[in-house]
Amino acid sequence: MPEIRVTPLGAGQDVGRSCILVSIGGKNVMLDCGMHMGFNDDRRFPDFSYITRNGRLTDFLDCVIISHFHLDHCGALPYFSEMVGYDGPIYMTHPTQAICPILLEDYRKIAVDKKGEANFFTSQMIKDCMKKVVAVHLHQTVQGDYNMTPDRHLGAAWIDKCRPNLLITESTYATTIRDSKRCRERDFLKKVHETVERGGKVLIPVFALGRAQELCILLETFWERVNLKAPIYFSTGLTEKANHYYKLFITWTNQKIRKTFVQRNMFEFKHIKAFDRAFADNPGPMVVFATPGMLHAGQSLQIFRKWAGNEKNMVIMPGYCVQGTVGHKILSGQRKLEMEGRQVLEVKMQVEYMSFSAHADAKGIMQLVGQAEPESVLLVHGEAKKMEFLKQKIEQEFRVNCYMPANGETVTLPTSPSIPVGISLGLLKREMAQGLLPSAKKPRLLHGTLIMKDSSFQLVSSEQALKELGLAEHQLRFTCRVHLHDSRKEQETAARVYSHLKSVLKDHCVQHLPDGSVTVESILIQAAAHSEDPGTKVLLVSWTYQDEELGSYLTSLLKKGLPQAPS
Amino acid sequence: MEPAEDWLVESLRLYQDFHAFDLSEATRVLEWIGDKGVFVAGYESRKKNEILHLTLPFRLSVKENQGLFPERDFKVRHGGFSDRPVFDLKHVPDTRLLVTSGLPGCYLQVWQVAEDSDVIQAVSTIAVHEKEGHLWPRVAIFSSVAPGILHGVRLSSLKVVDLESQKTMYTSGVSDSDELSSLQVLDAHTFAFCCTSGRLGLVDTRQKWAPSENLSPCPGSGGGRWCAEVGGRGRGPGPHIASLGSDGHLCLLDCRDLSHPESSVQCAVSTPSPAPELLRVTWAPGLDNCLAISGFDGTVQVYDVMSWDGMGGQAEPLFTHRGHVFLDGNGIDTAPLVTTHTWHPQKPRTLLSAASDASLHVWDWVDLRASC
Repeated sequence: MPEIRVTPLGAGQDVGRSCILVSIGGKNVMLDCGMHMGFNDDRRFPDFSYITRNGRLTDFLDCVIISHFHLDHCGALPYFSEMVGYDGPIYMTHPTQAICPILLEDYRKIAVDKKGEANFFTSQMIKDCMKKVVAVHLHQTVQGDYNMTPDRHLGAAWIDKCRPNLLITESTYATTIRDSKRCRERDFLKKVHETVERGGKVLIPVFALGRAQELCILLETFWERVNLKAPIYFSTGLTEKANHYYKLFITWTNQKIRKTFVQRNMFEFKHIKAFDRAFADNPGPMVVFATPGMLHAGQSLQIFRKWAGNEKNMVIMPGYCVQGTVGHKILSGQRKLEMEGRQVLEVKMQVEYMSFSAHADAKGIMQLVGQAEPESVLLVHGEAKKMEFLKQKIEQEFRVNCYMPANGETVTLPTSPSIPVGISLGLLKREMAQGLLPSAKKPRLLHGTLIMKDSSFQLVSSEQALKELGLAEHQLRFTCRVHLHDSRKEQETAARVYSHLKSVLKDHCVQHLPDGSVTVESILIQAAAHSEDPGTKVLLVSWTYQDEELGSYLTSLLKKGLPQAPS
Repeated sequence: MEPAEDWLVESLRLYQDFHAFDLSEATRVLEWIGDKGVFVAGYESRKKNEILHLTLPFRLSVKENQGLFPERDFKVRHGGFSDRPVFDLKHVPDTRLLVTSGLPGCYLQVWQVAEDSDVIQAVSTIAVHEKEGHLWPRVAIFSSVAPGILHGVRLSSLKVVDLESQKTMYTSGVSDSDELSSLQVLDAHTFAFCCTSGRLGLVDTRQKWAPSENLSPCPGSGGGRWCAEVGGRGRGPGPHIASLGSDGHLCLLDCRDLSHPESSVQCAVSTPSPAPELLRVTWAPGLDNCLAISGFDGTVQVYDVMSWDGMGGQAEPLFTHRGHVFLDGNGIDTAPLVTTHTWHPQKPRTLLSAASDASLHVWDWVDLRASC
């Protein structure tokens, strides 16, 4: 039970189909449910048969947690919940809940309409799947695909020293040292500038959410500084949607964007204007941001068709394009495209693929591990042979165990969970009042009753516990008779017993009461004459259940007899 | 942030391409393996240092359609740990072996870059018998079927040791105690040395010690610490030696006649260098007559030696890389110092430079003289 068991179900080498099964505290949790974008067959889904071959997934899994809305982390969700079958809760943050269905639907459309896929999840399945979602706040779950350097629009991942038993991290990018954001932006500005300087037009296909806003701020600043005159356009559809989402999630964005948003509307730029489709035919240089992002339909594709034939123009693709889209084709180097009606479009314009993706790198991953201070680290999504150095690095720097399971391989981590128990003040005071505090070498035995209330543990005195439970207390008392050879009077025997015990039991409270009895802590010893034999005295030793240990010890001690009295 | 932004905008004009990386620790080493990978290594004295084999972003090796390759990142292909700081690292050509030097300077460490995993493992050591406090041996490799390791702290301790058998194949056999600052293997039998005093020599290992030498360090300079590199061309057809002093003097000598320097200039740097041990001068493999210097501040300067005339005049660099100064994002008070630089073996105007703030830049500068 105190073990944590982790089994990755997703792809071993590439980024894709993120899916990790974790058994923790008696619960089975599935972390992420991603799609592998590179495959068209079953390999694009995680291997769910590992979880259970015959039983229902709902019976086995307690919940699913989705870290974020990228398709390689949530793309297989509708397939999993509606086609394989899962009815339990699916947890994700509010922004993820809002964005997920949009990306899933976009992806579905491309797969079915463009690639003609047959066995794909439907729009209704996406809706049904989202009905099972329970949205949560950030302190309840952690962002996935973290990046330690703040993106212009999202805040950086920052984890307090939460000291988890286990930190699971993707290692795909742990062997990467990333080019600085500034240099990537510089490259973008240089390409745009060069094109505009030679009189060309720049098309930037974008999604409604994502880099568009960031790139706009970048261009605006640059235009201002270099005093450029060429117009920059932004299609209005984008503006509305983006504004809506940013208003919803303003607390999730970083300081700079928040300030921008508060001071003025996101899109009240000096140099950036709303686009009208007629502008595409205007002569001279310009820059246009248009949807959709993969050039698979709509406005961006329209503009592309108009501008593709001129080598002075440029199209900048800011992200991954799914197979089947025009975006994907031109990024593969295709220069002749077959459009509807067998029309061939010759692509003479410059094609630039720029990656602004937000993954962390080697430094970022090490920083994260350093901040979280886990007991163990588990790496997923990497080839074991290529992770040996990283494993050594983590083990050395943080002195933790580092695991790298393959798909389907289970790692078991023993944990020693510490359960905090509150002790009632009354009980503590009473124990301390009994004198003699415990030391490291001589711990004292404490009697109490452990009560579990809600999800906390309390140690209270037995009386209090009985009171709370409404039970009557029963006292258990043991009595033992020890026979001693002693012909003297009882009082003298008692006195002998007292001095003997006093000298032997130096750590205990031994008292000789006025009525002749001897007490050791709460144990009572009384001497009485034997009914038949005057040479024998009977010692009555009685103790309560709580003092059983001491009582038994005293009895055996007394049975050994008393030392000879001095005459 | 203003100057950084201004410089970035300027950089659009100054550089064809520019990449800036942050290593987890600063390096003084940039050693090529082929033309697609480099080794870097940490030089801290109080902790384990990493030796990394990094592969360059693929787009830098692609000849056409560079725009279709979005990845701009280095990949860590192999990594290893060194207990001591690494001040020099040399790859043994055609093998998977590396030789490193650092403090304490009484041995060289030999490493193996694993074939089936990503680990760089220490395999053996080569003893350098003299232990000289803060001095560490310079290293150069005689590459052949049986590679030889040329090393030494002073002229007197110069040796060539067979890598496999560890047998000494050559010794200088002299008692000159001049401290060495650089060693360079030129061919199967010749190597060049430069002492910190500025004394230069070309040695043929087939003969008893009789190097062709310069008479004294560059005229017009006084003392300081020197380093040098053989490469390039000057007015004559053969190879030349460029010698750089910590006082900013840059001297050009024809290898055929070391006694009479061809030309010399005063570089446009603030002198003296705050870290003379980091001085570096390198010839461009792909450009005639160009060399680069670093070690004075956070810049790397490129000079065209043909534009020099005579002795001792001021020279203006053809190009100055200021990236390490302007992109210092760490907010540390002290400005970074360039620790090393190297030219790309294939791309004529591409260089790599590393600085004390652990930054690593790959930059392709624009020759502003070119009119078209």
